[in-house]
Amino acid sequence: MDIVVIGIGQSLRGDDGAGPEAVRRWQEKFPATASRLRVETAELPGLGLLDLLSGARAAVIVDAVQTEAAAAGTVLRLALDEAAAFASGANSAHGWGAAETLALGRALDPSLAACRIRLVGIVGADFATGAGLSPEVRAALEAAAAAIEEEVKDRL
Amino acid sequence: MTKNIEVGALARVEGEGGLYIGLTDGNVTEVRVDIYEPPRFFEGFLIERFLQEVPDITARICGICPVAYQMSSVYALESILGIKVSPQVRLLRRLMYCGEYIESHALHIYLLQAPDLLGKESALELAAVAPEVVKDALRLKKIGNEILKAIGGRSVHPVNVCVGGFYRWPDVEPLRALLPDLEWGLQAARECVRWAKDLPYPDLEVDYEFVALHHPEEYGVIEGEVWSSKGRKTPVTEFEKAYLETHVRHSNALHSHTVEGTPYLVGPMARLNLNHAQLHPQAKEALKESGVVLPLRNPYKSLIARAIELVHFYAEAIESIRAYRPEGPAHAALKLKAGEGAAATEAPRGLLYHRYAINKQGRIQRARIVPPTAQNLPRIEADLFAMAPKLVKMEHAEATLTAEHLVRSYDPCISCATHFLKLTIEHK
Repeated sequence: MDIVVIGIGQSLRGDDGAGPEAVRRWQEKFPATASRLRVETAELPGLGLLDLLSGARAAVIVDAVQTEAAAAGTVLRLALDEAAAFASGANSAHGWGAAETLALGRALDPSLAACRIRLVGIVGADFATGAGLSPEVRAALEAAAAAIEEEVKDRL
Repeated sequence: MTKNIEVGALARVEGEGGLYIGLTDGNVTEVRVDIYEPPRFFEGFLIERFLQEVPDITARICGICPVAYQMSSVYALESILGIKVSPQVRLLRRLMYCGEYIESHALHIYLLQAPDLLGKESALELAAVAPEVVKDALRLKKIGNEILKAIGGRSVHPVNVCVGGFYRWPDVEPLRALLPDLEWGLQAARECVRWAKDLPYPDLEVDYEFVALHHPEEYGVIEGEVWSSKGRKTPVTEFEKAYLETHVRHSNALHSHTVEGTPYLVGPMARLNLNHAQLHPQAKEALKESGVVLPLRNPYKSLIARAIELVHFYAEAIESIRAYRPEGPAHAALKLKAGEGAAATEAPRGLLYHRYAINKQGRIQRARIVPPTAQNLPRIEADLFAMAPKLVKMEHAEATLTAEHLVRSYDPCISCATHFLKLTIEHK
């Protein structure tokens, strides 16, 4: 269980909830792979993201992204250093977004620096308060689940 | 400095707010901490809820200090029902506060305020030059979270607290297993005080009225009287007669002041200045060793008060875990009756007051919550006024940073503070 899949996002901030939703969809579609890995979902982990990554040799982080560079519903597969270009749509308390937390953790912890982290990003349309995903993001969950599966299959 | 200071969104504070300092003819004439985070109407949500739902709803007001929001509500509701909890329940409740103070103070000291004092833009920049300091900070904080997880099932918004006690006794073993980490944390907290006493704090001395909960036999956190450094001693049931809340246009958080109309200060400096005699011997020793003279009156130095409290709560956590022996029922039975009751406890950021009225079915009829940051907002604005002669002599960028740092040194929790009781629109 040294590979972890982490879905991040708030279910009450519209498309910000895409990360955990995509992870749940992947678990349903690919139970054989999902049962062999550690799977976590977190609404707003802040610095707790470092605990979720603790002990992992490889990780796939699934998160909503906000960008003008791609249409809503686009599924992106990114290396960690590409993540800073994308900002999470929902503000987190004390400004500890996933990108800053990962940068801090990797600066401090050699084992985290050695952990291979990949990101599956789902471009969101609407991050306003309220439950529910936009139609574009809902339609993208299948593709996101397939992207997670491809990312983890390479590492099993 | 020749132009106004406008900070649209304050960084490294919890919640959403801005800062405005206006100049006329070179003098500061207007200071506003703008709170535009929307009001959250928690008091309204509670109406007609059964009393046992209240602690889990009020916990949601804050992700950093959920324990205080749970506890102020359970103590207020228990006072209506005449429940006196068992010594082991009380010990566990204080242990939860230990966890909450540890995680909240470690975060603020190292990751939110220290970058300001050391001239760094963020904790990330601090980590680049002092990785060991930030590593210790994360470990110190995590141990606090682990205490909450062992008692309440999870570290944020723990779920075990109920009116009358706990839903079930937490297991002894996971708590005992934390002792080696806590022993390390106690020494790290002592080191934190040594480091904190010599940081380059900006000069500012303010003649505050400090207000905190006081308990004669322990460091005031739950139960006791509301004491003020001006000599006022107020039973919690009289709190709203001595301390009043009003609405101001630029803030979605109400502003508090004393009955005389003056601002007052709650939080770590107020607690330390009023309650240092009740500190744990380890914290007293740390205070003595530091050479810090009380009362502290420099808001930037509230970091030192947090560091000394960090020692206190690490030491208390160790003793509480050693003394924890669950036996008998984990919670008292509820005998419902109608009534009204209030309680105050000390959240990491200061006094947190709750009052509820319930009907004979135990449903909430009225709720009133006065959070610490709302009490401190007028004080923050008054401090910025006090700083004004210095600010106007600085370059604009330096003045902005000094003012922002002052706000951050208060560790304001804006999300907690935003609440409206009633909005009246006057037609003239």
